[in-house]
This record gives sequence, structure tokens and C-alpha cells, in this order.
Amino acid sequence: MASSKESRSWQLWAFALIVPVFTAGWLNHPPYAMADFATYEFSASDESRQLDDVPLFEQQFASSDLDEFVHSPSVTALPDGDLLTVWFAGSREGAADVDIRAARYDALSGQWGAETALVDRETTRRSVGKPIRKLGNPVIALAPDERLWLFYVSVSVGGWAGSAINVMVSEDLGESWSKPRQLVTSPFVNISTLVRTSPVFHADGSIGLPVYHEFLGKFPEYLYLDAQGRIKDKFRIADGDNSLQPTIVPIDGKRAVALLRQAGENPHVLATITEDAGKTWLPEWPVTPWNPNASLAAVKSHRGSLLVAQNNLVDGRFRLTLDEADVDLVAWSMVAEVDASPDPEGDAIPRHLYEPMLETNFLSSSGSARRKLVDEYLKKLDRRMCKNNLCDFQYEYPSLIRAGDGRYHLVYVWNNSFIKHVAFNSAWVEAQL
Amino acid sequence: MIFLSLQAYLTFSLTLFLLLPLGALSRNRRLGVLAGLTVLGMLPLIQGMSLAGYLRGVTDDLACTSMVWLIAGALMRLGFISAWSRPRLMQLWICFAIAGALLFPAAMGVGMIDTYGWGFTPRPMLVGVAAVTLLMVFIRNAPGALLLLAASGAFVLDVKPSDNYWDYLLDPFIFLYSVGALAFTGVSWIASRKVRIARPISAMDGSLGKTDPAGRSNA
Repeated sequence: MASSKESRSWQLWAFALIVPVFTAGWLNHPPYAMADFATYEFSASDESRQLDDVPLFEQQFASSDLDEFVHSPSVTALPDGDLLTVWFAGSREGAADVDIRAARYDALSGQWGAETALVDRETTRRSVGKPIRKLGNPVIALAPDERLWLFYVSVSVGGWAGSAINVMVSEDLGESWSKPRQLVTSPFVNISTLVRTSPVFHADGSIGLPVYHEFLGKFPEYLYLDAQGRIKDKFRIADGDNSLQPTIVPIDGKRAVALLRQAGENPHVLATITEDAGKTWLPEWPVTPWNPNASLAAVKSHRGSLLVAQNNLVDGRFRLTLDEADVDLVAWSMVAEVDASPDPEGDAIPRHLYEPMLETNFLSSSGSARRKLVDEYLKKLDRRMCKNNLCDFQYEYPSLIRAGDGRYHLVYVWNNSFIKHVAFNSAWVEAQL
Repeated sequence: MIFLSLQAYLTFSLTLFLLLPLGALSRNRRLGVLAGLTVLGMLPLIQGMSLAGYLRGVTDDLACTSMVWLIAGALMRLGFISAWSRPRLMQLWICFAIAGALLFPAAMGVGMIDTYGWGFTPRPMLVGVAAVTLLMVFIRNAPGALLLLAASGAFVLDVKPSDNYWDYLLDPFIFLYSVGALAFTGVSWIASRKVRIARPISAMDGSLGKTDPAGRSNA
């Protein structure tokens, strides 16, 4: 009898708690309305508009360290015309000494400043309260409210498949940054979500972050965050085990194209389209350009088409081209070869022949500020480029944006050694066609 | 020294406390062991990271249901509460095994439906979990009601870094534990049935086809 009374008592308590707890949960989590993609007006000043009648193509190194392996750059434009680029650098990819570097481009002088370490393994470890084995893939973007967002991956256990995404924000255009915090994006001990490509913004300032998984499958997703960086939702772009690193280009408020790195058998770029601002995506399909399992970047051009920076190759990353596609991704054409190995097949070159080629390439690529580094750099030819006295040219991992003044900025990895910045304008694009 | 959340330290000390063989130690000594494990988990090792931090690197933050289960398990080992009955445990294992089967394969990329995404817009899930909690109350499964209420209350209070309701309800460890416990129970049940079936057959050995004195045949 006493047991029955006790049972009724806890049941009454449970009923009394269930109603407020679940009602509060319901009220705290109302459905949200997903805003359309933000659309940008490009407002060149009179002066730059006059200049933009003249084709402009400039190139220089954004990074300056000579010793380290550099990888995975990302660039964003700041309100005053400056640029900020981030990348990761260390003794090799995945090494414990890798940190996230940054450099700022001064629009007045037209030069990149000194590179600085933005965040390292130790800072991440202390902030997120986990052991951190390695860092990688930083992505930077300026939100419409002029907050700078930095996303990067860290690994506590295992390889890159064990990655989680960290986020930092700057309220003062990169002068100071918040502590890193980890986004929880997976129920499986929060592993296997990576970021590589630039976020897009929605009209209300919310953030669309293209991410991908590479644990059991390889597939892309669209992570939807509010303007404060809290996750609101997540949408699958594709499933399976053959696509990575979506680069997303909004075409209008509802429509966007995603181009995907091919990680499967068919060596073509994969593509898909959303018509509802990122919630649902068409089944992915292969498009014309080749993709040797390499990252690519795209932006909507002044012509309404897509400009795509990519390694349009079956194998290797020895040539980086700028290509144009219509927004239906049917018609593709090459705009220009941005950088390429002197060997048309990308074959390895004996070191004694390679060195003078690399020197020429360095001098044409580095810009005036970094040109003086050439001799010291050539003394340090190492496994970043050469193995067994055979050396390669590699141009990979592009990040492409169109700044507020309408100019295009492309950054990519130059021979594993430098982050190279290429700036061009609409007139230059038109002159190539 | 790197300070972690209370949850990280508790995860370390409670897990080890439940795994360690404590023999016939008195309650006070068991409390001492638990306190010692908590201190051990907090001690800074290499570059300030504690053992609790290293464990968190592998497990991330456990779900609230797992935390409540760990705390309840520790209280049982200390003799403060009685052990949960087998039928109630079985109901919980089934509940978490089904939830995990719904969540993990889809979240890991099997198909275009991402069940993990449901946890970011959780109203339908809240209705479902409220219904399961009510069911637990009706079938008098107090531990089940406690786990689900605690997890949902923590979600309302936003106590974890995650914005996803699933992360409060389920993690791979409670799922694997439930699946493992169900599998073990199933194998034990099958084995015990085999023994039960085998016994009458062996008892009947040699009697098949014989007619008993009353003239009845078992053929």
C-alpha cells in the first residue's frame, strides 16, 4: 500500500514537471524564417571606375615566411578597401607547430603587411578545454554588420576526419579577436565536420557556412548560423562519399549554385543548386571541368556569370585557371591561365632545371615587397617542392572574392611555400574573352 | 592549468568510479575513492591539461541522460539509492537503442535525411520526447522519466554549448551501452532457453515410443 502511494506521489511530481519543462522548451524554440541570400551592390568610386576601364592584373605574395609549409588560404575584403587573408602554416600539414596566420593588404600602399599568428594550438586548447593535435583550414569573412568571422578546424583525436569547427569573431575589423569556441555540429562526439570555403550571408545578417564531412562518408552540408554565430539549422547538400568543400555562389535571393570538390571516381567538378536559400539542394551532378580531387573557388561575376578558380586537370595541381560558366553550369570557357608549370603535363622537373624556372616564377609572382627574398628562398628548396632531386610546381586551394569596389581578389597556395594574391578587374576579364 | 566544466571533471571521476572494482569497501571509503578520482581528474599534466581534459578530447561532452545515469550509478555504488530493476533498465535500453538507430546512421551521411538537423528545430522532437516521458510515467519507469526530464530541462536552461536537442538526449556511449546490454540480454536469454529445451529432451531419452503402464503413448 505504501509502495503504491509512493508510486503515485512520484508520478504526480513527474506530471507536474513535464508540463512546464516541455512547454518552456516549446516556447524557447519557435520556428524561424530563413532569410534570403544577401545581394550586394558594387559601388566603385568615380576614380576607381575610371581606373577600371583599364585592365588591371596585379600579383604579389601575401605571406613572407620562407621556411614553412603554407596551405588553405582564405581572403575577405574590409570596408576601407583593405584585404585580410588567413592561412595555416607550419613545418608540414598536420604538424603540431601549425598555426593560423594572417596578413593585411593596405589599399593605399598596395602592399601586404607582415604576417602574424592569429591563433595557435595552445590558444585553442586552452579555450576549448580539449587536447588539440593540429589546426587547419581557416576561413575568414566580413559580415554585413562589419563583424569579422574566422572559422577553422582543429583535431583532438585521429586525422582530419576527427575535425571540429572553431569560431572566433572580431568586432574591430581584425585588431582583436574573441577566444575560440567550438561549434557542435555532429552527434558523434562532435567529430568530422570541416570547413574550407567562404561563408555566404543572408539578408538578416545570418551566416551560411559551407561545411563537409569526411569520416564514414564524404559529403557537403550547409550550416546555418544566426548573426551571433549560433547554429540555427543544418541542411544536407549531398550524401554519399564523393564530394567535399562546397563553394557556394548566391545568384539571387533564393537561388545559389554549389560547386563541389570531387572525391570519388569520376574526375569532374560536381555541382548542385538550391532554389530556397540553402534549405534543399538538387541531386549533385558532374559538370564539364575536370577536378583532380582539389579545392575550387567561385564568385558571381560582373557579367552575371560565374568565375571559377580551379585546377581543371584530371590529375595534379600544376595549373590554376580562371574559368567562366553560365549560371546553369552548361557553357564553360577558360578566361585565363593564372599560374602553370612550364611542363605542360606537369611532370616533375630535375632540380638543376627547376631552380631557374622557380626563380623566374618567383620574381614575376612575389611583388616588389617580397622580391628581395628570392635568394634566401632558393637556398631553402626542400621537400615542399622537391623529392629525390625532382621538383614540382603546384598552385592550389584558391579563394576568390569580389570586393565592394567590384574588383576580384584571388589568393592561392604557390608551391606550398607562399600565399599568392592576384587582383584583377572587370576590364581585365573582358580583355581575356 | 586549464579549467574545464564541472561536467568534464564529473565524467572522468564517475566513469572511473563505476569501472573500478571496489570489493567490500565501506561507503565512506568509496566516497574517499570518488573524491580521490575527482582530484586525479583535475590535476594538471602536460602544459596544464588534466586527465579529465584528455578524456573529454575523446568523448566530447556527454549527453545529459548519460550524466544522470552516471550519477545514479555512482549513488547506487555508494548505497544511497537502490539499483534500477531489470525491466525498467530493459525499457531504457530499448528506448536509447531505437533513438540511436534513428540518429547516428543518418547523421553520418546515410541518405539525404539528416535526423541530427531535427534537433536544431526541436518542436516536433519535444512533442515526441514529452510523449515518451509520459509513457515512462504511466509504466512507472521512474529512471526513464528522470533521464528524459533532466535532459529536456537542461536543454531549456541551455546548459551545454550545443544548440541541438539531440546532444542533450543521446551520445554514442549511451547508445552503444544500450545496444550492448540488449545484445548481452538477448544472447543470455537464447542460451538459457537452449538449456531449458535441452533438459526435457535429455530427461525423455530412451522413453520415446514406449507405452506407459496406463496404455498412453508419447509417440
